[in-house]
Amino acid sequence: MSPHAAETAESTRTRGKGRPRTSETAAPSLIEILNLIRSERATTRQALERESELGRAVVADRLQLLADLGLVEESELGLATGGRAPRLVRFSARRGLVLVATLDQTAIGMGVSDLSGNLLTEHHEAADLTAPAAQLANRLATLFRWCLERQTIPTAPWGISLSVPGTVPSIGDGAFMTDTPPVLPAWEDFPLVETLTRAFGVPVWMRSSVETMTMGELHAGAGLGLRSMLFIKVGRRIGAGIVCDGQLYRGAQGAAGLIGALPVQSDGLSGTLDAMAGSDMIQREGRAAADSGRSPVLADLLRRGGEITPIEVSQAAQIGDPAAVAILSTSGHLIGQVVATLANALNPDIIVLSGTLVQTNDILLAGIREAVYGASHPLVTRDLRIIRSQMGSSAGLVGAARVASEAIFAPAFLKDWILQGKPTLHPDFAAFRARTDNAALRASADSAEVPPSVAAPPSAQERS
Amino acid sequence: MTLTISGLGPHGERAAPPERVSLLPEDIAAAKAAGKRVAVVLHTLNGDWTRLQISGMLGIFGDCGVVVTEVVDCGFSAERQVAELDRLIAAKPDAIVALPVANEQVAAAFRRVSAAGIRLVLLENVPTGLLPGSHYTSLVSSDNFGLGGMAAAGLAPHLAQGAAVGVLGFAADFFATNEREIAFTNWMQANRPDVRTHVRRFGTMDEAADLAERMIADHPGISGVFVVWDTPAAAVSIRLAATGRAIVMATVDLGEDVAISLAAGRPFVAVAAQQPFRQGVVAARTTILALLGRTIPAWIALPGVPVARDNVADSFQIIWRKPAPREVLRLLGLTP
Repeated sequence: MSPHAAETAESTRTRGKGRPRTSETAAPSLIEILNLIRSERATTRQALERESELGRAVVADRLQLLADLGLVEESELGLATGGRAPRLVRFSARRGLVLVATLDQTAIGMGVSDLSGNLLTEHHEAADLTAPAAQLANRLATLFRWCLERQTIPTAPWGISLSVPGTVPSIGDGAFMTDTPPVLPAWEDFPLVETLTRAFGVPVWMRSSVETMTMGELHAGAGLGLRSMLFIKVGRRIGAGIVCDGQLYRGAQGAAGLIGALPVQSDGLSGTLDAMAGSDMIQREGRAAADSGRSPVLADLLRRGGEITPIEVSQAAQIGDPAAVAILSTSGHLIGQVVATLANALNPDIIVLSGTLVQTNDILLAGIREAVYGASHPLVTRDLRIIRSQMGSSAGLVGAARVASEAIFAPAFLKDWILQGKPTLHPDFAAFRARTDNAALRASADSAEVPPSVAAPPSAQERS
Repeated sequence: MTLTISGLGPHGERAAPPERVSLLPEDIAAAKAAGKRVAVVLHTLNGDWTRLQISGMLGIFGDCGVVVTEVVDCGFSAERQVAELDRLIAAKPDAIVALPVANEQVAAAFRRVSAAGIRLVLLENVPTGLLPGSHYTSLVSSDNFGLGGMAAAGLAPHLAQGAAVGVLGFAADFFATNEREIAFTNWMQANRPDVRTHVRRFGTMDEAADLAERMIADHPGISGVFVVWDTPAAAVSIRLAATGRAIVMATVDLGEDVAISLAAGRPFVAVAAQQPFRQGVVAARTTILALLGRTIPAWIALPGVPVARDNVADSFQIIWRKPAPREVLRLLGLTP
């Protein structure tokens, strides 16, 4: 199918008597059929008729239109259950691509996924998120372009999904971002969302890193197939991702799971969980233990000119340094007490712990387990598993890809683009894009100095 | 020699140093008592890099009583690798040490290996979607991001202000070469914003020289070229020499041809070298610890070695465990 065929399919396809074959009223059934195929709840015509309760002729008509739009393909033979083997209907996940990125305090991750949220390529590199946002946007755009160039079959991006280190306000089902929330101080005056929209001509979605990692773990990690999960990310901040009935729970403002703000007490001191158990505390206490000589391993590291970061404290604990073990054990117990409260409220199938500190030592994990098992109702812990994530930062990328694919195909959003063939032709998005382009033009006309923009080619690099 | 690891792992992991996987006497005794069998599956069996990897591995496996039942050559072919992995699954070795030659095309076959209960240690590359702990034990690789930056840092002093550089990347979606290419251009953008980079990617090694020739024809201002590994780089250098253009080059790995060129001072001026023997040793230790059920980091990275004319002879010995070629020593005036 040619690239333009999808855009014109609706206007050119007519029935014998010259009336339109599919009208606007067909959109609901199109959406239902597409999402049945996409979720693999129905993979044959018979199953589609059964699941959608639509007639054979309607299903055939909608399938033909979806095939013309390039959204489904029907070719392979399925298993016969008597009689002729049915043809399998599949979602064309490669019709478009999703560009995904995770922005962390010390690293950025970038990747490209298909429309089902399967990651095709990924790359991670160290980065400083306190650097100017324009610089970050430039780096992201360079990496996104690099990723797009490398696709063996050139495919257009349909969306960008970002995982960011802060809460992202809820804006409704499927709705794309139209401005940049002030997630980080360095982004306050920089229109990251608008800049990326302008540079790639696609809608941008954004979620907190805890939310994307939870989505990643739910769809491709330890939470696969489970209905109820608690995901705990331990870093400078400690956050929880909550999965109920197989869905990420975001709360009224998108701020569910901010457990790092809860007050806790330890050794007569009180403070927030972030301050009392997060990686800043681990670093500070590790440094103090090195200075006082309580930690021989960390003191030796200092003498050799090394730097004490939370990772060093974590590694020292792993090899049995008593002071480092005590620091991580305290952190684990405090986190565990808060997690136990959540576990008693939600009764999850699994608790998945993530973050570099959890990955690099067993002490923190042991402390959390001990506190959760000790402070929970026996029924809650009877079959409860508490494990560490195996996905690392990939969880954020996979989850960001799922956020975009769910948003692109959310019925409320899908209904206004499905007949156009791709989400970039959604009327709201087209209007938003025109506004951002005009605003950029006005800004450059108003200012003698051209603002930094990723829309321009990278300064000294030519991809030819 | 720098010991810093500048890259992040395939899932954003921080690198664990090679020292993290050391074998204690009781590990060696336990491995000997267990009598395990291991298969090695490589992209190719040609070249010094592979020879050194295998030799590093075999020594350690031998010390620990682990029998290497076969060393498989995949000839850079994804189809062949899939077929060989499926054959090995049936043979059921205790572990497989493998270098995935591609990304998506081989991912499912590697999943089948771990699903069959065979321990899997990967070299250099992880097909996207495979996770440590679930689908493989650990990745042992060079710091490929560091290698790309190192090559750029070595080439940069030889580039005039405002110079143009050609980058020849590998078209296959391969973690190691992707990282080198990204890091090279990233280093130039960050440290030499005056330098323009032109990127091309070859699908097979035979294409590299043709591609380089076309690239410099399209961009006559190019005065430096980076190729993501040494074998195609050597072929490119011969082709570019025939054009009579004065172009300096940098690459990854210190092959013999490249070492001779470095000693001669042209066209190669900088190399970021891997440590294949040491990598083989670390891969074997990782495999043994995996077979003994010990906790192993998801990514173990070996730092690169920056090589220029002044340290080519001794670096050659470090990397290849043999004396530098006579021609290198002669060009350096170290032998008549």
